Parts: sequence; C-alpha cells; structure tokens
Amino acid sequence: MNLNLLSYLIFLPAMMAIAMWTARSCHRNGRVWMLGIFDGDAPFVDAINNVLLVGCYTLNLGYVAMVMSLWEPITGLEHMLATLVHRIALILLSLAAIHFTNIGVLLVWSLLRARDLAPQQPTLTNTSLP
Amino acid sequence: MTNLTVLTYFIYLPIVLALTLYVARILFRNARVFMLDIFNGRAEIADSTNRLFEVGFYLLNIGFALWVMEIHGQLNGTQEVVEKLAGKVGGFAIYLGIVLFAHLWLFFRGKRKASEARRHAIPTVAPLQA
Repeated sequence: MNLNLLSYLIFLPAMMAIAMWTARSCHRNGRVWMLGIFDGDAPFVDAINNVLLVGCYTLNLGYVAMVMSLWEPITGLEHMLATLVHRIALILLSLAAIHFTNIGVLLVWSLLRARDLAPQQPTLTNTSLP
Repeated sequence: MTNLTVLTYFIYLPIVLALTLYVARILFRNARVFMLDIFNGRAEIADSTNRLFEVGFYLLNIGFALWVMEIHGQLNGTQEVVEKLAGKVGGFAIYLGIVLFAHLWLFFRGKRKASEARRHAIPTVAPLQA
C-alpha cells in the first residue's frame, strides 16, 4: 500500500475526531458563559451556540482536509512516522491556538459586559438622591 | 474507472451538496430566533424572510461549489485523487464556514439595529401618554 495513502487513512479520522471533540466541548461549556453575556436569554444563546458549533466543524474539518493535500511524497516507514507526527502536532497546535482565542474572547466579552452593567447602580443612586 | 477526474467530480459533488444542505439547515433553523426578534415577533414575515435568506444561501454556496469544481491537469493514481479531493472539499468547507459566520454577523447586526430602533421608539410614545 502507498505510504501516503496509509498515513492519510490514519491522519484524517484521528484529526476529525479530535477537532469534533474540541468543538463539542466548547459548545457544552461555552453555553454558561454566553448565558452570562446575553442576560440568560436561553433560546437565543442556544441558537447562536448551535450555529457556532457548525461553523467550528466546517472551519476545523475543512482546515484538516485542506492541509492534507499539501503533504510531500513519503519514501519510507521512518519518514512516514516523522511526517505523521509532525502534521498531527501542527493540527493540535492550531486547535490549541483557536481554543485559547475562544476562551479569551468569552472572557473579555464577559468582563466588558460586567463593566457595562456595573456603572448603572451609582447613576441610579445619584438620580434618587435629589 | 478509466477517467479519474470524472470519478473525483462524482465524489466531490455529493459531499459539497450534503455539506451545504446540512449547514444551511442548522443555520436557518436557529436564525428564526433572530428573525422573530428583528420583526418584533411577527412570525409570518420572520419565517418568510428566513426562507428567502435560506434560498439565497443555497444558490450562493452551491453556485460557488460548482464554480470551483473544475480540476486542471491529469490525475495519476489514487493518492492524487485523495489529495485533490481533500484540498477541494477542505477549501470549500473553510469558505462555507466564513459565509456562515458572515450570516451570523449579519443577523447580529439586524438584531442590534432592531433593538436600537425600539429604544428610540419608546421616548416618542412616553410623552404622548403623559
């Protein structure tokens, strides 16, 4: 069997599984954060969350499939292992970067939201004073 | 199969069509919440606008999928078919993800504009009652 094909056969299902698992964990655990950001509007949050999940799937799986077309020809078993591990590492690092960016966006958005809500109390007390 | 390019087309087409249908269905099932908000809960106009956007989404993306389908040059062997297919499908999936997020942004914008319009509408009503 062609070694390139063999490594694609290992690479594609494994990376798809990892990409989908990451997206799903974001979907499950990001919900609480988004409920905080959007004032607990559950139907709205679920709608956004589902669309984001599908967007995550298409972008990540598309990326995994697209980089698969850029592999160099593999000459031997040793070369195959080295290339496979290197390519898997690249995907995992990109997923990690995207994941931490997601967490950062949620965190910053929540902080901005909290800051926007906080000044309302002083203004309320000021208006009630006179 | 003698002609590998034709074989690749016949694998590519069902994949991209199914992907477009899946993404569109998820997106527009969840876009209903946005549309109802934008049109102040008038379900009839919200649903028909949603449907119009969905048809536009199909036309745009299936059109793009067919536009980029053509394979230039000769394909030699299974490995090249797999690589070409992965590159095409992956690129299309990334494009679809970007279009999906663009739609989501559009819906967010519509929702924000609608809530701004409502906020401006309240002061004009309040003096009339007073």
